[in-house]
This record gives sequence, C-alpha cells and structure tokens, in this order.
Amino acid sequence: MSGRAILDVADLWVGFPSYRQATQHALRGIDMRIAPGEMIGLVGESGSGKTTLARAVMGLVPPPGVIERGHVLFGGRNLAALGDEERRKVLGRELAMVIPNPRAELNPVQTVGRQISNIAFYHLGATRKEADRIALDMLRAVRIPDPERRFAAYPHELSGGMAQRVVIAIALVCSPKLVISDDATSGLDVTVQAQVLDLLQTMVREKGAATLFITRDIAITAHFCTRIAVIYAGEIVEIAETRSFFARPRHPYSIMLLAAFSHNPALRAKWTRSEESRRATAAGGCAFAARCVRRQPRCEQEAPPLRPSATGHEVRCHFPVEAAA
Amino acid sequence: MTAMLDVQNLVKRFPLAGTGKVVQAVNGVSFTIARGETLSLVGESGSGKTTVGRCILGLIDATAGDIEFDGKRMGRGRDIRSKVLRGRIQLVFQEPAESLDPRIRVGETLAEPLRHLGIGRADREKRAREVAEHLGLPARALDQFPPELSAGLQQRVGIGRAIITRPELVILDEPTSALDPTARAEIVDLLIRLQAEFGTAYLLITHDLSTVRFVSHRVAVLYLGTIVEEAPSEALFARPLHPYSVGLLASVLLPDPTLTHTSALRLEGEIPSPIDLPPGCPLAGRCPFADTRCHAERPAPVAVGPQHFVSCFHHQKIAALDSTIDNFARFQEESTKLLSVGAG
Repeated sequence: MSGRAILDVADLWVGFPSYRQATQHALRGIDMRIAPGEMIGLVGESGSGKTTLARAVMGLVPPPGVIERGHVLFGGRNLAALGDEERRKVLGRELAMVIPNPRAELNPVQTVGRQISNIAFYHLGATRKEADRIALDMLRAVRIPDPERRFAAYPHELSGGMAQRVVIAIALVCSPKLVISDDATSGLDVTVQAQVLDLLQTMVREKGAATLFITRDIAITAHFCTRIAVIYAGEIVEIAETRSFFARPRHPYSIMLLAAFSHNPALRAKWTRSEESRRATAAGGCAFAARCVRRQPRCEQEAPPLRPSATGHEVRCHFPVEAAA
Repeated sequence: MTAMLDVQNLVKRFPLAGTGKVVQAVNGVSFTIARGETLSLVGESGSGKTTVGRCILGLIDATAGDIEFDGKRMGRGRDIRSKVLRGRIQLVFQEPAESLDPRIRVGETLAEPLRHLGIGRADREKRAREVAEHLGLPARALDQFPPELSAGLQQRVGIGRAIITRPELVILDEPTSALDPTARAEIVDLLIRLQAEFGTAYLLITHDLSTVRFVSHRVAVLYLGTIVEEAPSEALFARPLHPYSVGLLASVLLPDPTLTHTSALRLEGEIPSPIDLPPGCPLAGRCPFADTRCHAERPAPVAVGPQHFVSCFHHQKIAALDSTIDNFARFQEESTKLLSVGAG
C-alpha cells in the first residue's frame, strides 16, 4: 500500500503557540496512510485533534496553528505549500469534505441546485447548462425525491436529512479521490442517519473515492469503515482492520470507548477511570496514563511509541491488552 | 401500582400566525409514572416529546387533556408552579453549557433552587456540598465557574441543581445527547445511582436508544405526537411490534461490525411536518404495511402483553416477521466477554 497511498501523513506535529503558556500541541506525531478506495474511521473524543487533522490534510490549519514537523502529502503534493489559488483547484475537486449542520453551512441565499452546479461549473469546466444537468443528476443520485422541484429550493426549505444529501452531492460531484467526513451525521435522527450513512457509503464506493471518516461515535465506524484509527490527545493510539479491532481491541483507551456501551456498570468501571483525572497528564509519560486502568510506574516516565503487534494492530502502549481472551 | 403522575389525552396545538394552520405537536398522549419508576419517551425530532415534558412542567399550557400529580389535578397556567408543588418536579436540560449561567459559581448554581424554597444561606451551602459529593464532583468545583468544567461535569451540575430539592419526579430532556460516549455512560450510572438512593421517578425524553436500554423500566415510543407503542423496556427491545419501533431499533448502530441491521423492515423517508395532519395512522406514509384502512382510520392501542400496548392494525404481521433485531442483547453478551479480560 505504501507506494500508492492517496494520503500520506508522516510524523505530523501541529502546534498552537500561546502568548502566556507553552505551545499547545493539537497533533503530536500522526502517521497515517490511506490507500485509494479505503474507508478509514478516525475515532476520538472532542478535543482529541480529529478536526485539526482534517484541516491539516486540506492544508488549512487555522492560525495561529503551525505544522511544526512532519508532512501531509495528498496525491504526492503538499497542499500547505501551495498558493491559495492552486489549493482551491484541488479542494472540492480531488479532495472534498462532507460537513455537519448543512442547513447552517450551505449558502442560504442560493438554491441548492445552483450550489451543486457551481462546483461542476468551476472545477469541471462545464457550461452552465451542462453543470445544471450534472447537478440534477447528482440530486437524483443522492435519492432526493422530486429532484426537479428541489433543484430550485433554498437550504432552509429542506429537512436536515435532505440538506445532508445535498452536501454529499456537492462533495461527490467531481468524483474526488478523497472524501473527508467530519461528524457529518451527528445532528441527524437515527432513522435518517442510517439512510444518509448508507447513501454516503454507496456513493463513495461508486465513485471509487477513499474516505477519512471522522467521528466521535465508534459505533458508526464499525459498520462503514475498513480500518479504524483511534486518536487520543493528538496521537493515534491504535490502528487496525475493522473486524480485528472490534474482536480484540488492544489499547486500554479503545476498550474504554467500547466499555461505554456496556450495560454492566462493574465492567464499565473496570475499564474507566473517573473523568476527574482528565487534565492531569504527566509530562514525558504516556498521554493516556492519567485515565488508564492498567497504568504502571513506567507509563508515567516514558511515552510509548506506536508499535506493530502480533495481531496486526499498531498499538501505542507499554502494556497492551493480551491478544487472546 | 398507584400512579404518581397520570397524563390523560394530552393535546397541544400551536397555531401558525396568519395562516389559519395549526402545528399538531401532541395528539392525545396518555401515560402514567409510578414512584421511583423511569419511563422513557422515545422519538425523533418533531415527535412532540419535548412538548410533552414542557406541558407537564407547566412551562406551556396544554390545549386539552388532564395531568394529575400525586392525586391532585394540575390546572392550567400559574398554579402549576404553586408553593405546594414547588421543587417536587424538576427538569434537566439537554445542553449543559447553555443551561448553566457562566457567571454564577457552581456551588451557588447548585443551591439556587433552595432559595425559592426559603432555605437560609448556611443550609443551602451545606446541601450544595452534600449534593456535590453525591455527584462525584471534585470539592474545588464548587468555587469554579461552569465553563471551566468539562461537558460531563457540567451535566452533573445540571442534575445536581435538579435533585437538590429532593424532587419526586425529574424530567430529563435529552440529558446525554451532547456528551461523548464515555461521559454519557458516567451520567447514566449517576442517574441510576441517584434513583436507587432517593427513589426519584424519571421521565426520560430522548432519541438515544442505548441510554434508554440502560435506565428505563418502561418505554413509550412517540411518533408525530402519538404514542404508537408502550411496553416494559425488555419486552420492547426484544420484540417491538409497531413498524415504527422496529425501524427505529433497526437504525441504531452498535459498535460491533458483525451485528448489522438485517431487519426486513426499513423505514423510508423522514418524519413529516406536523402541520395539518391527515386522518389515519401517523406512520401510514412511510410504512411498508400501510393499506387503505391505515390511511383512513387511526388505530387504537391494543394490549399485546403485560403492560405492552401497540397502535397498529397490522401488529400480528409484524410479530410474524422473522425479527432478528434483538442485537442489543447479543451485543451485551459479546461486550461482556470482551471486557472480562484482565485489566491488570
């Protein structure tokens, strides 16, 4: 997979300098490769660095954040080094994003048909007429009922589920090589969420795009991703094939995330340390040590590297959970 | 089992100014809650679940219907907040960050409801410290401001503010939906523990079915302002009999790639607008079983088991489906195996 990765992130450090304190690091040495057509799920809590990684991939780290070390290569190019004009040619065409809260993010004073059509017009060099036809086809492809009439609708006239379908249409109209979905279904009701996720998966497969599926809901990734990466405090702590990950997670944090779904309070307590210890992380040690139920003295002194294990998982832990139950 | 809260035929309509149309938010909802019991009101956005909660609290007036609390009929308007009831019914909000005043310290926030009960400062502070201990809040949190706490701790403050008056009923309006799964599990544990300790009854309003499974004794499924199915929690999750309940449960994703939703019944489309509803079954437009009768006539609740009621003409057909959606129970078995390995 190494030679033909569509996205290659290596030892990526993103820091946010602060006037009074030391620089805060949102990402601390991320390594991640995505092969064409692969759907990788990136799971983590709020504040773990998921969205910063998405922004870094697009070359849009928000100021004052800076890439301190490492690189992000998309199709062999460093997007951050491109000029704004050059980057705009890539974003939306080869690399697209599916965003949450579509009714707030879409342009409220432009019809949804025109918003899809614009992408085809600017990126594919289509004439206005062709672009409108492409947009109508996309509305049909994302299974919006009555697409001719909805073409002329404004975002506020659509339900949340419909607006999310429009966002998917916008993301996929140019058949991008990589789609980033950042918590794209978090505001939707469960029956609608299931429909939208099915649609996104089908469309992405049809177009042959790779997907970086960012979410805080680990349950979604189980059904829609081929690989799972778990991120904690700006570091990937475990990365593995989906089936293998859920059958036998190795990092204590991965297990803690899964334990949150158990109905057995004793088992949950066994893997969860109270939230109180969240911010107390010793410098130099493992970032998860303060919340880890398996913590040993060594964990507080020495940060573990991300190591391949016998089960094919890569795990960042001195004392990973045994492979066999 | 005597009901502590008895809601009968609750109706709430909101007129749309200038159009002559009405939003039929709640259309004849009836249920009871006993002391110490948890009833979950489950539904998607637009189902009317929050409106039901607000009517019970008296924050808005119901259009029709009766609400009795502890044997006393609660009238319309202000008397619902009379001195007799004050502090006996409390509310926990969905967004902890937005429902706490960022400029009032946590200790004071917790104690505020007691001021309205005429309790003196020294007692208020003592009770706030006691409640903080129950909540598992660190002692220093009492002197902090809400924005300094994580979302999970903020929601603990929201719960503490509700239980400090020792209410008999707490209405929980989406208490966990703004939280990460880990924080959510901790809040659920807390709610269960507080109920065991104080015997508080809960009306849990939510669309989060995993939480419902954890905490409820009974579940009522709400769709377009109508309860379509009501059952003990276990019975509902094991064998839902209304097509909407089946579709809703089948849509829930569990963190196990081997448990996919294989149900034969998949709901198409979305919940329609509750403006000027047609007659007939509220689900008729989305239901694969709908026939002419469903479009013309509203099905009445039928008893199908102990405390289990379904409002569907075709519930026998649903029961005959080879339903394999009892994934919740299977997931728990798998999850127990997975988590039983040594934590060291």
